Amino acid sequence: MFPAIESLAMTFPTLLADKNADFWFPIQGSSFAEEVDWVYDLILYISLAFFVPMMVFMVWCLFKYIKARGTKAESQLSHHTTLELTWSIGPSVLLVWMFVQGSISFLDMRSPPEGSYDIGLQAFKWGWTMDYGNGTFHPELHIVKDEPTKLSMRSTDVIHSVFIPAFRVKKDVVPGRYNYMWFKPTIASEQISAEQLAKLKKQNEGTTWDYDKVHTIETEDGEKEVQVTPEGYTFFDLYCAEYCGTNHSEMQTVVVVHETQADLDAWIKANSSRGEVSMEEWGELLYGRRGCSGCHSVDGSKLVGPTFKDVYGSQHGLTTGENQIVDENYVRESILAPKAKVVAGYQPVMPSYKGQLSDDDIASIIAYLKSISANAPSQPAAAQAEPEAESAE
Amino acid sequence: MSNATLPAGARDPGYPTERENYLTNSSGILSWMFTLDHKRIGMMYLIGVVSAFAIGGLLALAIRLHLLKPDGLLFTGAEGNNIYNQVFTLHGAIMVFLFIIPSIPAALGNFLVPVMLGAKDVGFPRLNLSSFYLWVFGALFFVSALFSSGLDTGWTFYTPYSTTTDTSVILATLGAFILGFSSIFTGLNFIVTINTMRPPGMTWFKMPLFLWATYATSIIQVLATPVLGITLLLLIAERTMHIGIFDPEFNGDPVTYQHFFWFYSHPAVYIMILPAFGIISELISVHSHKHIFGYRFIAYSSIAIALLGFLVWGHHMFTAGMSSLTTIVFSALTFTVSVPSAIKVFNWLATMYRGSISLTTPMCYAISFIFLFTIGGLTGLFLGTLATDLHLHDTYFVVAHFHYVMVGGTLIAFLGGVFHWWPKMVGKLYNETHGRIASLLVFLGFNGTFLPQFVLGSRGMPRRYATYDPEFAFLHQLSTFGALLLGIGLLYAFIVLMVSLAKGRRAPANPWGGVTLEWQCTSPPPYYNFERPPVVGDPYDFHNLEWDAENERYVMTEPERKLVPESTPDEVPAHAGGQE
Ligand code: HEM
Ligand SMILES: [Cu+2]
Repeated sequence: MFPAIESLAMTFPTLLADKNADFWFPIQGSSFAEEVDWVYDLILYISLAFFVPMMVFMVWCLFKYIKARGTKAESQLSHHTTLELTWSIGPSVLLVWMFVQGSISFLDMRSPPEGSYDIGLQAFKWGWTMDYGNGTFHPELHIVKDEPTKLSMRSTDVIHSVFIPAFRVKKDVVPGRYNYMWFKPTIASEQISAEQLAKLKKQNEGTTWDYDKVHTIETEDGEKEVQVTPEGYTFFDLYCAEYCGTNHSEMQTVVVVHETQADLDAWIKANSSRGEVSMEEWGELLYGRRGCSGCHSVDGSKLVGPTFKDVYGSQHGLTTGENQIVDENYVRESILAPKAKVVAGYQPVMPSYKGQLSDDDIASIIAYLKSISANAPSQPAAAQAEPEAESAE
Repeated sequence: MSNATLPAGARDPGYPTERENYLTNSSGILSWMFTLDHKRIGMMYLIGVVSAFAIGGLLALAIRLHLLKPDGLLFTGAEGNNIYNQVFTLHGAIMVFLFIIPSIPAALGNFLVPVMLGAKDVGFPRLNLSSFYLWVFGALFFVSALFSSGLDTGWTFYTPYSTTTDTSVILATLGAFILGFSSIFTGLNFIVTINTMRPPGMTWFKMPLFLWATYATSIIQVLATPVLGITLLLLIAERTMHIGIFDPEFNGDPVTYQHFFWFYSHPAVYIMILPAFGIISELISVHSHKHIFGYRFIAYSSIAIALLGFLVWGHHMFTAGMSSLTTIVFSALTFTVSVPSAIKVFNWLATMYRGSISLTTPMCYAISFIFLFTIGGLTGLFLGTLATDLHLHDTYFVVAHFHYVMVGGTLIAFLGGVFHWWPKMVGKLYNETHGRIASLLVFLGFNGTFLPQFVLGSRGMPRRYATYDPEFAFLHQLSTFGALLLGIGLLYAFIVLMVSLAKGRRAPANPWGGVTLEWQCTSPPPYYNFERPPVVGDPYDFHNLEWDAENERYVMTEPERKLVPESTPDEVPAHAGGQE
């Protein structure tokens, strides 16, 4: 039990110090938050206005009327119709008030304003892909402050649910239909300086980026605790709230709110294509970003899908009993039509990435797979991948 | 009063002989296995549901221990998350299908309904026995699911997850299907019993409130359970034959499943809580020695809850993407159920006012119930209100809400009921002091476990998470320590009862001073409950009850209140009750 007590001692201050959040709620990050919290408080106070007197009355009765055994009760009053009607009908009025307030706010939350900024969201076991248009996909949700934003949501497998506590919004993502959700963020994320980010990156060299980790950074006015994305933005949490299997609790991503549309556009541009980086590097980025890492490890451990370590160039046994050599064509097919050839011992659960990864992206992933495989043929990766990718289409 | 002499005409049935006593009148394991006596069947159910509760409880402790650390303490490694998912699924499924639904109706109800009614047995004794064996059979299916490839769908079996996961969904759903039949048989039996087997003089409004509650519950059981059965069969058909109702891959709609499921399961939560209301009405009145306040309102509100409970299932799907209008209508309907529940609480408080309260163990549970259930009910308002539900749905707030209602409500009422009727059921008194200490531990442990979860949920902690963000660690740990205390309290209560079996004093017929019929037969009751049809009066009229301090028991003083002619029972058929 010692680790528990240790972390208990550690987290008590965090709970209290969680800035901008009060006891009940997370920070108010969207235009809905204030209203929802207001309705919540309304119900809370009405509830307390009933609960406290009732409990006081009960305890008072206990003090006053606990009698020795065999004592007769002071009264045998069996009913009082006026009283009973009053306490049946009276509270109903308050209930109607709650219902109306809650429904008004709800209707707001259901009607996205004309011309909202539209972002596609795809949920899958166990991750998220945001579609920014023009072939730009990213697991993080990046939006603009004060800009009504609408998510058009779909799921490739089971029901998931988008939950952003800071925005007080939640909506299920049901396979087989589109669901929509909208909100208007009111607080922009901060970005730590490039030097600080470089420093953090250095500290975390060799590990995958941990969004939850609290970093201490130096600022002009002393030290500050932050959680940041690999690009140095502070963020809001986005959770999956509908139970969806093994890694349900790891199905999280972040929401970054940019100060201006220009900011966001710049970010989208920077994430839209490979640019100057090498194919292996881009492939590795996509591996993390597009959700491959959720199901395929690169260290040899078995997750939902086969590991990628040393897989390129090796032989796979398929569910059909055949053997398959892992080459460019097989990798490409597995990305576009994952259910066509399933490796023995695994379920056909991978979603198709058809239309979501460009040829360059696929070639880059192949290059990355080669770079982490001891079985890969020894020619330079690029020389092999390029013509393949072209001829395959 | 000084009690050496009692008023003339004091009536007490005394103690049963070996031959009358239902526990000892025949012996051997077979005499229990093939018994048609509702009391023995009730006792077997009691052992069954308590065992199920023990398993479910251990799983709950495992869940809480695991959540001591953000990355998980117990189930680590590659399969950690999967194991955690199976543990919470089995915990939920066992608690709901094997414990809470059958606990009060099948265990206590079976024992009490005929006795409180003044009947010799239930309407269909053989059906009653078969419903017990169906329960056992269904339970075995659950356990076999556990030992084959587990179950990881959550107790709600939401599609399409449940149609695609490779765990033992079919075994478990078949188990739930069989349990459904068990539940229907019990409900049917009580409806028939209460309709046809009331003794002369037992009119509807002379029935104790526990019977009203049981009757309302039975209606739900009979009407709603078939829907669950059909839903589960469709689920199995979808899984095996891809018939395309629930799974979008075959053009089905997963939300349809949720409608079907909650159309049963929402009324089912009232199967869980209505009998508890019945018990609490009895406990508060008897241990306050005062007429229950607002008998008719309480009776009608049970029926109202049973009927309204069928109309509100949609409130589990506010975030699923129903149309705005549907959503708002369901929200409005949801609020209507809170009124009858509130009425009951007010009535119980009014019953205590100017009573003569004995703080016995059952009474301790009854006041815990009022405290906890009120919190459970009020937090339902946050969930019924649309704007706040969108934020709170599927978070720990919901977990806390339904545990306050089902554990804080049903389990506490069940415990209160067991302690209240224990002397009647086994003929032994338990140690009051220890009983009270245990109830206090349960109360404190329960609040320690679930109060922090309201905060967790409104701060944004989703439910069914095997790991969580570090900022939630403190509240999770509080909750775990609460759960440990709760576990200790429950174990303590169990030991108190077991010790009473070995060492307890012999129980008189009426140790608390109840007026309902079960206190007019010996403890434990004779095989046929009553030698001849009992005298039926107002079940909450305490005027003629006197305390006999010498023998530590209550006795009725009025010789024979409403004289029923000797010959009546033979001439009037058993089912002719009802005329005043
Ligand atoms: C008789 C008392 C009650 C019982 C037995 C009860 C039981 C439950 C249970 C078991 C659940 C959770 C089911 C699940 O998702 O696993 C639940 C959820 C819910 N309850 Fe209650 N409840 C009671 C009173 C109330 C009241 C008085 C209200 C509203 C006025 C209410 C509103 C809700 C709502 C809206 C949900 C769905 C919340 C969500 O999932 O977002 N309940 N209740
Ligand atoms: Cu999910």
